[in-house]
Amino acid sequence: MIDHPTDSHTIERYEATGGYQQPPRALGMTRDELVETVKDSGLAGRGGAGFSTGLKWSFLAPSRPAYLVVNADESEPGTFKDRQLLERDPHQMLEGLIITGVANEVHHAFIYIRGEYPKPARRVQAAIDDAYARRYLGKGIFGTDYDLEVTVHLGAGAYICGEETALINSLEGLRGEPRLKPPYFPAAKGLYMQPTIVNNVETISALPHLLEMGAEAFSRLGHPLDTGTFMTSISGHVNHPGNYEIPHGITWRQLIYEVAGGIRGDRELKAWIPGGASAPWFVPAVHLDQQITKDVCAEAGSMLGSGAVIVMDETTCVIRAAERIVRFFAHESCGQCTPCREGTTWLEMVLRRLETGQGRPIDLDLMLDVSDGISIGLAWPPRMTTICPLGPSAVSPIIALRDFFRKEVMEHVELGRCPLERAEVVA
Amino acid sequence: MSHWSEATQDRAREIISRYPKKRSAVMPLLYLAMAEEGHLSSEGMEEVARWVEVTPAQVQAVASFYTMYKRERTGRYLISCCTSISCMLLGGDDVLHAIEDESGVPHGETDEKGLLTVEHVECLGACGGAPAVQVNYELIEGVTPDRARDLVRWLSGARPAVVNTDEMQELFGGVRSFDWGPKEGVGAIGPYPAFQPLGTVGSEGLP
Amino acid sequence: MSDSVLITVDGKQIEAAPGEMLIKAAQDGGTYIPRFCWHERMNPVGMCRMCLVEVDGPRGPMMITACTNPVAEGMVVDTQNDTVKKAQEAVLEFLLANHPLDCPICDKGGECPLQDQAMSHGPGESRFVEIKRNFEKPISVSDLVLLDRERCILCARCTRFSEEISGDPLIEFMERGNVTEVNTFPELPFSSYFSGNTVQICPVGALTARPYRFRARPWDLTKVESSSLYDTAHPRISIHASQNQILRFIGVDNDATNHGWLSDKDRFGFQYIESKERLTSPLVNRGGELVEATWNEALDIVANRIELIRDEDGGGAFGVIGGARGTNEDAYALSKFARVVLETNNVDARVGDDLASHFLAATVDRALISDLDDADTILVWGPDLKEEHPTLYLRVRRAAQELGVTLVVIHPRATGLDDRAAHKLTYRPGGGFALLDDIAQGEHPDVSHALTAGKVVAIVGQACHADGPKLAESVAALARNKAGAVKIMPLARRANIYGALDMGLAPDLLPGRAAVDAIHCANLAATWGEIPTVPGRDTRRILEGLEDGDVRCLVLVGADPVRDLPDPRVAVEGLDTAEYLIAIDLFLNDSNRSADVILPASGFAEKEGTVTNVEGRVQKVNAIRPGPGQSRPDWAILADIAERTGRPLGLAAPDAISKEIAEVAPAYTGVTWDHLEWEARDGAVVPLSGSPPIHYIPVALAGPRPPKAALMLHVARTMYDDGVLLRQSPSLHPLAPGAVAHINPIDARKLGAQPGHPVQVVTKQGEGEFSVVIDEGTPAGVIFVPFNQVAGSALGTDPVVRVKAVAAK
Ligand SMILES: Cc1cc2nc3c(=O)[nH]c(=O)nc-3n(C[C@H](O)[C@H](O)[C@H](O)COP(=O)(O)O)c2cc1C
Ligand code: SF4
Ligand code: FES
Repeated sequence: MIDHPTDSHTIERYEATGGYQQPPRALGMTRDELVETVKDSGLAGRGGAGFSTGLKWSFLAPSRPAYLVVNADESEPGTFKDRQLLERDPHQMLEGLIITGVANEVHHAFIYIRGEYPKPARRVQAAIDDAYARRYLGKGIFGTDYDLEVTVHLGAGAYICGEETALINSLEGLRGEPRLKPPYFPAAKGLYMQPTIVNNVETISALPHLLEMGAEAFSRLGHPLDTGTFMTSISGHVNHPGNYEIPHGITWRQLIYEVAGGIRGDRELKAWIPGGASAPWFVPAVHLDQQITKDVCAEAGSMLGSGAVIVMDETTCVIRAAERIVRFFAHESCGQCTPCREGTTWLEMVLRRLETGQGRPIDLDLMLDVSDGISIGLAWPPRMTTICPLGPSAVSPIIALRDFFRKEVMEHVELGRCPLERAEVVA
Repeated sequence: MSHWSEATQDRAREIISRYPKKRSAVMPLLYLAMAEEGHLSSEGMEEVARWVEVTPAQVQAVASFYTMYKRERTGRYLISCCTSISCMLLGGDDVLHAIEDESGVPHGETDEKGLLTVEHVECLGACGGAPAVQVNYELIEGVTPDRARDLVRWLSGARPAVVNTDEMQELFGGVRSFDWGPKEGVGAIGPYPAFQPLGTVGSEGLP
Repeated sequence: MSDSVLITVDGKQIEAAPGEMLIKAAQDGGTYIPRFCWHERMNPVGMCRMCLVEVDGPRGPMMITACTNPVAEGMVVDTQNDTVKKAQEAVLEFLLANHPLDCPICDKGGECPLQDQAMSHGPGESRFVEIKRNFEKPISVSDLVLLDRERCILCARCTRFSEEISGDPLIEFMERGNVTEVNTFPELPFSSYFSGNTVQICPVGALTARPYRFRARPWDLTKVESSSLYDTAHPRISIHASQNQILRFIGVDNDATNHGWLSDKDRFGFQYIESKERLTSPLVNRGGELVEATWNEALDIVANRIELIRDEDGGGAFGVIGGARGTNEDAYALSKFARVVLETNNVDARVGDDLASHFLAATVDRALISDLDDADTILVWGPDLKEEHPTLYLRVRRAAQELGVTLVVIHPRATGLDDRAAHKLTYRPGGGFALLDDIAQGEHPDVSHALTAGKVVAIVGQACHADGPKLAESVAALARNKAGAVKIMPLARRANIYGALDMGLAPDLLPGRAAVDAIHCANLAATWGEIPTVPGRDTRRILEGLEDGDVRCLVLVGADPVRDLPDPRVAVEGLDTAEYLIAIDLFLNDSNRSADVILPASGFAEKEGTVTNVEGRVQKVNAIRPGPGQSRPDWAILADIAERTGRPLGLAAPDAISKEIAEVAPAYTGVTWDHLEWEARDGAVVPLSGSPPIHYIPVALAGPRPPKAALMLHVARTMYDDGVLLRQSPSLHPLAPGAVAHINPIDARKLGAQPGHPVQVVTKQGEGEFSVVIDEGTPAGVIFVPFNQVAGSALGTDPVVRVKAVAAK
């Protein structure tokens, strides 16, 4: 984990540690050179989908104006890495923003920060003000004739606005409902129907380093198929929760037991969620020694997603955990798609019944069938019946119940209550 | 014709000027409307509709989509307690119950004095410092049920004009997701995020 | 790009237009993919997810919604396999989970796509044992529409309609997720002139119309297709009746005109047909009182009097006003009756529609409604289309909003299209000619530029009475001079006015858009015999003639000049002094109450025939039941009178009349009933061809200069008023604004007028008390008074006005 000096968010400190060196270089490069560099580096998006950033940029349609939106809506349960980048390193993100803007011929960029992050937003705004004062932003940046305006836009409590097309609708003053695909990328038609690049805070923040190191050096960081380091947010029953910048390729055992200091109170590990609340769960008997890379994870039927790891110990009631996660998605469903709107709430209601001892023997099969209607075949990545992956994400805990915890579900039904003793929280 | 004060109208104009299209200003203007009245009233939505030239129904369609636009009267302090998965694992529900019990205000309601509103919310992005609580969106991490009771008592008793994340963290918090750096004297003065100029001053010792 | 692509649907090859949505292509190729949210006339939202199908993708089979994905060459689609079935069954089960089980008492029962789908694809018993979503039962979203949110399946058809089609987004999705609901802003109802369309397109029984809630069950309806005459575009409708009672009108998708949409007036205005006040028996004036008489008595009286006057004074002593409410066949009979029986050209179907008859009937190049879609610029300088020409309004809005046409609107105040106008000019009432000069002199370069760009459609009509009737034609002339390719649509607003003019119901027109002169009269001699060759009097001059005594006998056919003329004094006085008044009508009205004989006519939906719309499109209208009591169609009444005066018309039945029309009006050749019923379901446009039609080229005319006055009066029609048909339509009549005067907030302050308080409005031609509406859409210095309202006095056409606040009672 990077150790932050207390004033890491100030422009003085940032400049003193080599900040804002890269934009002038970017301004001297052509769009093609920049896009190629990012492509070659292998940098993949850190917002959840893990799509190649350079490739995405190359899709930018020719019509102008083009826009850039930095996705700082971070709301997936378990995820809190972007908050740290915004709060402690806002200039790093701004520098990345300038590079991205220049590479994509953008003259107006937006930073969409979730409404529940006022302090990060204040830090970012203060950083923007300082950057404007030094003419790193605004009219004629870095002594060139390139203009770049930045507007901070606060969300107002809707996880779905993290989905890039919903985010764009939200920014246009509409309901935060994801748009129809195709077009698959806002780079074709995005904000105000103009070409738009949407990138995650962490992706953007990697750019100054990428440009400084060069594509080649950057691609040698981490795992060959999954370059660069990435930030993982660990939470739940571990001794040292927090954000850790790790290289791809270490194992789950290393992450949970070494990096995060093991399970609180030396309890047994029961399960963990490898990539934010959307991801299907892992259990120690199967997955503990697997490598942390996109591909290995995908093969095992889950994903690294937003990089959030939620760890559950032996005292965790899986019905309750599942209910919390499904409840989240039901609460956050935008409501457009019938399967997501109706299905997630249905699942939540059944789980609540099971949790309160009113489960029926057929309920697990019913939930699986309902889930099947949202995500046909219950595969990962899902075969969606919906516009966006939110609905299908809600069935991940149900897959876990089916694969690993059938017995515990049935005990709930048979006993008419939770079979586990309610354990003390270990501080 | 606007019902807003000249100063608020100036802020509205400034907000609109940040966007290529007027309608994009709906969300910040809704915060501005909340700041005028402490919650989002029908008049507030009509006012926003006039500013961005859409119908009030279109504004309400947006306002009602998001959880942070409070269309009911809201207390001076909005206490939001996270009960999402990571906080739940570390006792978020107990913290919620402690807050409800100490304040006498159940989820989604406001006390008679108009001082406290209590709600449980989904993930606040503070999972590393679970359980987390926000007061007027200013964050406190590592809250225990006992500390939560202290927090409620403090809000009811001291009734701070400005709530400030660093101060509350020191008084009522524990484990944090990460180190936040130096303390800052900026905070919220109402149940909406303290961010200029979305309808909040939120400063103490700031210009 | 080629003209078509080849796709495979369930193993069958289908040809489709590139860019077409898969759901439509499949449907046209014979494969119905189930759907709820998709609607052919609106942008897809892909929300219900019912239309999921599987297509072969680069990485194996892919589930996509057929309503949001355009066809592509070589696309291979499976709409039947297990995955698709599973998805469709799941969507249905999800939709039904929270849907109430009240089909037996639901208006939609029997014609509900959800019910039908549930029968054919559904799971049978619900596995949803949780508590259903609960909403307050039907809430009013407007005066005409109720919403049951428990039945709603959130297909966004109604919300899309209000946003994309009608342009009044007052009904929206509120909240989100599982508690999403459709609703209005509190106390701001969905008071759209088009609200009824949402009821028609709601795929379930969530939206219902007050005028026909619980009235009928779909299975005992008889149906017939027709065209509504409330609006001169003649939108296509289907009339539904049960046991000889008309219950509802449904919009029919006609490519050429209404795309299935109807204004609420077209949809609910039918109530007058069933009014208890319909005339059911001939009435004759006996000692100052109208008493019932037999047809024989009444016809004898009328015929005798006509013969008497004809013998004494000849045709100059007769006048005929009206004839625009019936069919072309009726109008033709009236036209022939006037010339042959009354020996007069004093005949006019225009009552309040004052544009020159040749301009209205025979302008070249006349625009088709479909020309709006591929125009570069549309100029609207005329009435507020939203108020007076709802079908055109929707088409112009669509062209501007969805098809990228540049819209120019010129009007004395705000109009319903302003939000889509690229350029909007506002002018003081009476200042139309001055503005036109300015434009001609290049003072509005944006407008001039738009008018010179490519294809232009100029929709012109009377925006404001103070400008006089000649402005519209001068505007058309200007557009003609500027644009390379201009098409003109001159506007008149009465029912079948264009058909009536085509049949010769104007003092200077003969059937087939021929002029009244020796040559053309001679051409008609074979069928009509000898007829007067000098043009006659128009409506105004007929009324003046009555006052002078030059005109002794007036025949009023479905007309109410006292109510319909902007300055009714001439009508009041003329009718007062008329020696003899014969009326043919559905109702007693302010003009015919003093008639000597009133003959009950059968009306719309009670007789067959053809009608001609604003673009010259002829469509068939049909009868679903006979008229009430002893009422009879106009043509039959006229034929009987003619017979009794010894000048038979030789007209025996409407289809025979239509054949005679085709003979004497060559443009109507080939427009037979058979053709309209079978080949030309969208109607047939009668071209300006054959001989001897007029090819009228609009000319720039001189007009009034604006008078100088601090406050100017603008009087215009609104959708709902106190016209006789609306008065008999209980659902709509209360929606009329009443006696109100709109003024700008600035003027309100000057006058010290408060909203709702009375003001006294005085003009040279009238005065009255009106209640104030503060309205930013009315410019400062202008007072806007809706025409013909309950308790509203007529103020005439002169724009100079004095207004003073009256102490509120
Ligand atoms: C339901 C949903 C929620 C999402 N939330 C976020 C988010 O909070 N932050 C984020 O950066 N990306 C989020 N994404 C991913 C974005 O859609 C998008 O892929 C990402 O911002 C692209 O940036 P990247 O390429 O830099 O990762 C979400 C996606 C979905 C489907
Ligand atoms: S899947 Fe859910 S959240 Fe995503 S668009 Fe559909 S309804 Fe909205
Ligand atoms: S018809 Fe395609 S999603 Fe509704």
